[in-house]
Amino acid sequence: MSGEANGLHIDLEGALDADHIGDVGVPASAELLAFTNAVELGRGDIDQTRAALAAAIGAEATTEAAAIIAIFNGLVRVADGTGIQLDDGVFTASITDRESLDINRFAGAANSADLHPAPGIPTAVHQLFS
Amino acid sequence: MSSIDEAQRSATEAIASPGDWLTGAQRIAAWRETRAADTNELDQERRRALSPNAVSGSHAGTAELSAPAMEVVHRTASDPGRLTRSWAAEQIAAIGEETYTELIGVTAIVTVIDRFQRAMGRPELPLPTPAAGEPMQVHPDDVGDIGAWVSQTVGPTTANVSRTLSLVPVTNQAWRQLVDTHYSHGAEFMNMQWDFPLSRPQAELVATRSTALNECFY
Repeated sequence: MSGEANGLHIDLEGALDADHIGDVGVPASAELLAFTNAVELGRGDIDQTRAALAAAIGAEATTEAAAIIAIFNGLVRVADGTGIQLDDGVFTASITDRESLDINRFAGAANSADLHPAPGIPTAVHQLFS
Repeated sequence: MSSIDEAQRSATEAIASPGDWLTGAQRIAAWRETRAADTNELDQERRRALSPNAVSGSHAGTAELSAPAMEVVHRTASDPGRLTRSWAAEQIAAIGEETYTELIGVTAIVTVIDRFQRAMGRPELPLPTPAAGEPMQVHPDDVGDIGAWVSQTVGPTTANVSRTLSLVPVTNQAWRQLVDTHYSHGAEFMNMQWDFPLSRPQAELVATRSTALNECFY
């Protein structure tokens, strides 16, 4: 959704593929993905990938990228640890993407297996934190 | 000090303080165990296994944390993507859903703090000294079954991810502050073209890769 709003065509498959470090349609994609993989998986040197990212997008933006990695490591734990279901509208809106991107293989999918969404519920991620 | 650093400092202080149902000493113990999960043999063996249930063994209790509490912290820290309802039900039966939820929240918060330090190339923070005092022990009135493993705020206007820790308001307050400063930026979250150094698509790209690597369905 943010890609569309910014006139970008995002390669979601590439974004989700842990082995892919390259352009996915977002400025500085390769540097962002390399940094994320280094922090998450220990693939690549964190200091080197952070320096490369800072050279591409600046120090402040790099700090924000580090903060995003950090907070999503928390978000996955509260989401998976409390067993929340997908919000109804997001469940409906993401059916095709979840299947094509093989996201339904994740264990947490079981939490939403019995969802029967009602209409008129938020359908986008930007409505989730209000 | 940046707002991110300030939020990290505030969260560190909150973890060292008495929480909802855990003392400051117990919350710091959970932080210590979260770190230990990185190298703990049982945790790593479970991570490597096709199914974590295929690995026998258990975590012993300590002076601060019971054996089920240790299990919650270690599994949540080391392998969150493969937690199941039956596993959670077993732990909740042993320690109660409030303590279970608080341990999930504490593990998540300290993971955020430690992961940020690592990403920035900084040394691990020393564990803070626990503050004295008793837990608040407040059970919110507006929580119930909304389909999650633990009770959460009832009502159609709040998204599920925003109410994960609503059962434990003290811990939830520290958590929500971290989310706001590290990612959602208050009302700006609705703005797909926000004016921050990291553009919205760049932020979502990092978020997407990070959640995928953690195999988070939500």
